Amino acid sequence: MLCWCGLRPSWTLETGSSLSPSLAAIPMTVHNLYLFDRNGVCLHYSEWHRKKQAGIPKEEEYKLMYGMLFSIRSFVSKMSPLDMKDGFLSFQTSRYKLHYYETPTGIKVVMNTDLGVGPIRDVLHHIYSALYVELVVKNPLCPMGQTVQSELFRSRLDSYVRSLPFFSARAG
Amino acid sequence: MADAVLFEFLHTEMVAELWAPDADPGSGGKKKSWSVLEGLGFRVGQALGERLPRETLAVREELDALKFLCKDLWAAMFQKHMDGLRTNHQGTYVLQDNNFPLLLTMGSGSQYIEEAPKFLAFTCGLLCGALHTLGFRSLVTASVTALPACKFQVVMQKS
Repeated sequence: MLCWCGLRPSWTLETGSSLSPSLAAIPMTVHNLYLFDRNGVCLHYSEWHRKKQAGIPKEEEYKLMYGMLFSIRSFVSKMSPLDMKDGFLSFQTSRYKLHYYETPTGIKVVMNTDLGVGPIRDVLHHIYSALYVELVVKNPLCPMGQTVQSELFRSRLDSYVRSLPFFSARAG
Repeated sequence: MADAVLFEFLHTEMVAELWAPDADPGSGGKKKSWSVLEGLGFRVGQALGERLPRETLAVREELDALKFLCKDLWAAMFQKHMDGLRTNHQGTYVLQDNNFPLLLTMGSGSQYIEEAPKFLAFTCGLLCGALHTLGFRSLVTASVTALPACKFQVVMQKS
């Protein structure tokens, strides 16, 4: 580890960028994932690394997330100084980044990750098309518009997220 | 070649429609649903049995007919071959599919296993109907032990 407290380091960590070497030491990871349908029903929620809860019941948390996304989307399109292309993509704070993907049918995939993670639209799209559509929409026993009960979906989603290059098993 | 998903969605709706709650006054309702679905499969199987065999391999023996089911019929319906065929050489055959497409989306393991058999009714009829066109009378039943694998048991009838 580099020390910046005035002492001359005896060795340096080689990183790609000379600006922020400490970024290489931050493990990148996925915190959690929400899946909503067009009516705001939370179809699925999974958590991998979440150190702090919202402090409100889960149902309220889902409503809060959905409501906020709904408002941000319409705000972004209204205030955009140019013609909208993809719309709202992500926001970040000093600790985490929220990624958003919406399909033409109104299914919304929301993933919270570490700051080091770049655009992951293709990942969220894969979650929609290869997991949600294949295992939930095409499952005769999964009624649409309700929370997903399928164990297969849950476990495949879990394996997929854990296999992502930016997922680290060590908690950030 | 039509997208396989079209048939899958149609099949899902057929099962849902026939097992809709108000058509279920006790076990009498369930049996009727099964036989309706099996009947549908039977007639489709009969028609496919006429239409599918392109090369006129004369289906002389039972085993040829079973091979036709496992290879040609399965490939046309489900875009794959049957994974296993066993027989006791006395008219009973067990066809094993380890990744049956109509069950693939439901799960792997034990969730949904009670609901799974109704999704096999149509296919049982399909196998029976195809064999009928080829000149063999049979009785077909199906069982599921662990999704998405299933077995179809074909017992040839001596007429």
